[in-house]
Amino acid sequence: MDSVISVEGLVKSYGTFTALHGLDLEVARGEVHGFLGPNGAGKSTTIRVLLGLLKADAGRVEVLSGDPWHDVVELHRRLAYVPGDVSLWPGLTGGEAIDLLGNLRGGLDEERRAHLVERFELDTTKRGRQYSKGNKQKVALVAALCSDVELLILDEPTSGLDPLMELVFQEEIEAEKARGRSVLLSSHILSEAEALADRVSIIRDGLVVETGTLDQLRHRTRTQVRATLERAPHTVDELAILEDAHLDGVHVRGAVEAERVGEAMALLGGYGIAALTVSPPSLEDLFLRHYGESGAAATDALPAAQAADPGADYHGRHSPPEE
Amino acid sequence: MRGRLTGVRPLLHVALKQDRKNIAPWIALISVLSASSVLVYDWVFPDPQSQQILQLNITANPAMSLIFGKPIDLTTADGFNAWRAGALGAFFAGLMAIFIVVRNSRAEEDSGRAELVAAGAVGREARPAVAVAMAFIAAVLLGVVSALVTIAFGGGVANSVMLSATFTTSAMFFAGVGIVAAQLGSDARSASTLAVTTLGALFVVRGYIDSSGAPDWAGWLTPFGWLQATRPAVENIWWPLLLVVGAAGVLVAVGWALHARRDFGMGLVPPRPGPARAGVVGTVWGLALRLHRPTMVSWMVGFAVIGVLLGFLANTLTDVIADNPAIALVLASGAVSENDLVGEFLLTMIRILGIYAAVHGVQIVMRLYAEEAEDRADPLLGGSLSRARHLGSHAVIAFVSTAVGMVLAGSVMGWVADATGDTIGFSDILGQAVATIPAVWVLVGLAIAVVGAHPSKRLIGWMGVVATFALTILGPLFDLDEWVLDISPLWHVPNVGAADPAWLGLVGLAVVALAFTTVGFVGYRRRDIA
Repeated sequence: MDSVISVEGLVKSYGTFTALHGLDLEVARGEVHGFLGPNGAGKSTTIRVLLGLLKADAGRVEVLSGDPWHDVVELHRRLAYVPGDVSLWPGLTGGEAIDLLGNLRGGLDEERRAHLVERFELDTTKRGRQYSKGNKQKVALVAALCSDVELLILDEPTSGLDPLMELVFQEEIEAEKARGRSVLLSSHILSEAEALADRVSIIRDGLVVETGTLDQLRHRTRTQVRATLERAPHTVDELAILEDAHLDGVHVRGAVEAERVGEAMALLGGYGIAALTVSPPSLEDLFLRHYGESGAAATDALPAAQAADPGADYHGRHSPPEE
Repeated sequence: MRGRLTGVRPLLHVALKQDRKNIAPWIALISVLSASSVLVYDWVFPDPQSQQILQLNITANPAMSLIFGKPIDLTTADGFNAWRAGALGAFFAGLMAIFIVVRNSRAEEDSGRAELVAAGAVGREARPAVAVAMAFIAAVLLGVVSALVTIAFGGGVANSVMLSATFTTSAMFFAGVGIVAAQLGSDARSASTLAVTTLGALFVVRGYIDSSGAPDWAGWLTPFGWLQATRPAVENIWWPLLLVVGAAGVLVAVGWALHARRDFGMGLVPPRPGPARAGVVGTVWGLALRLHRPTMVSWMVGFAVIGVLLGFLANTLTDVIADNPAIALVLASGAVSENDLVGEFLLTMIRILGIYAAVHGVQIVMRLYAEEAEDRADPLLGGSLSRARHLGSHAVIAFVSTAVGMVLAGSVMGWVADATGDTIGFSDILGQAVATIPAVWVLVGLAIAVVGAHPSKRLIGWMGVVATFALTILGPLFDLDEWVLDISPLWHVPNVGAADPAWLGLVGLAVVALAFTTVGFVGYRRRDIA
């Protein structure tokens, strides 16, 4: 695989606190790679190592086939970065900041700059201190997207953007991808990653616990099934193929391994199917599977009784190594 | 009124908790300043004869009055303390108060925390009231601690309390200046600059009045003069303090009135739209210039103004000497020549100038860390910018700006001195100012070293300036050993006017400055960005 980012066994500690315990990450050329995890999981630390702002304590880190700590200037001409918390120079206008940052990336594309300023509806004559959070974010986005680079590293780039601008952002990222650019998109907005990412890596407590295409990840997770049957089964045990099965008269709810959906359909067919919904796992389900303790209440597919203690059965099967 | 101040109590509680570690060092510094003079006095000047010599030395060098004020009676420990710690302590107390007020009003707005607070059930005037209350509490605390510590080290009770009370009232007055500036400036940085410039200007005017033999009424032109009118340890007159406190009250009232007329987060001057495209700011050098431009402009004005004052002062020396019969006696005895006095006077003035330049240089270097701490270094270093070039853009400005400042001040001072009399010539003054540049660079280099390699220890950069000041200006009075005085870079500056200047000192200074700078650059390359 031709990788633009390749990380193996990355360790980074701050004093006694270890932020990253041997993190692995591969981003292929030309892909949009979703880097997902909740606050404090180590996303920003990873990105700051990739940018050579932090020095790795252990592990191998390669960005665009170079060492981010040593080949700073050369590498940074070929990548653009948008921080999650944009801080602008209070006295500089947004336009000045865009030009400055663009120049630091080996020049900016004037046509793109004009196009992006218009699309993001940005007033470039305001001073840094006058911008709202969303507008600061837009300044950083325009600066990154109008530079002529191979790799975009975006750390929660849409925090503070309104839904319209979020849509503009998604379209522009699609356009970047069409140009053959690679994108590392760190986010906790799952719909955004679902819409844009070719592959995703899920990070938890400084370790990547899942990585793959969305299809691959979905395959490793169960599909939710809801059915109304024509004849009610006697007990829920007859539907053993369904996990977390819940039976209420003719109404059945449960989950099934992705590769056994066919079997489950055959079984349910035996009772006659009046109505049926089969939903493949959303990214949210994948995510919640790894952070189930805090997010259990949101999975409405689970019966209330089990939702109260989902960790037990959720973590039983595809346990990440550190659990 | 009660409603407008709702919320003061809980806010004050939090502010005190947050800010006490920032206030404590100031109180400690000023208390030590006061206590140390009482402590060392009997030890360094044990007999009346040495006390007389001290009085004579100080009076013969008006450049000392520039910083410390006119010596009144240096033949007692308390009198010496009132001279050594009086003006300087009031100056530092003022700085402390300004920083407290700006930090708790304007800086809170900039950070967005004040918005959270203002959205709560908090009266409109509560936030400025808390800022001023913080400064007043710190002012009173400063007075109490300083008085207790000074008395503990042997200061007279009434004298020490009087002196400490001048610190307290100075802090109150400049808290008022701070709260007004916080309403005028468009952000915390410009508010501090405005307030500190006011403080500095008043201090310099006071210095000029004290050292130029101006008539007595001129002393009333600055609040520092009002404080001096209490004549601590000599007469202990209390009523001038009421004047200072009254003025503080007026300033606070003005600050509140301005606060009520101003939009949140804005200064009184509305922001204007700026250029949509970057000119010179498009490069990292242009950015550094732009970031430092306002500071550099105001410091350059400062260099020029101080140059003018020192230039005038150069020619008042003969008057001051003529006015003092004791000095005339010493001169007549042939122990020292008038030329010696002039030379010593010039050296002291240029050293003061050097310290002023060093403060400017260290401030520029510290800005680099502020940029980093406020997350603005990340996007730059995330671009094709090497660490060395980032540090370099600020370091070069620090070196060049301090050098230009020294040349500017030296030229102005030399020109004024030349034009108004014939005590000291243009080339002597400019030459001495230029020779002092490498010593200033040592202090700038020290700041680069700590900010580059170990920014958590960046206070060392300021401590270098304070130590240099103490050693160079006060050290000789205390008969310190030569090796101790040698720690100060200014001590290695050759006396250009001497028969055989020790030029080798310049080489040593350059080497040390270079070494410090190298440490900074290597360290900056190796460390994590905050």
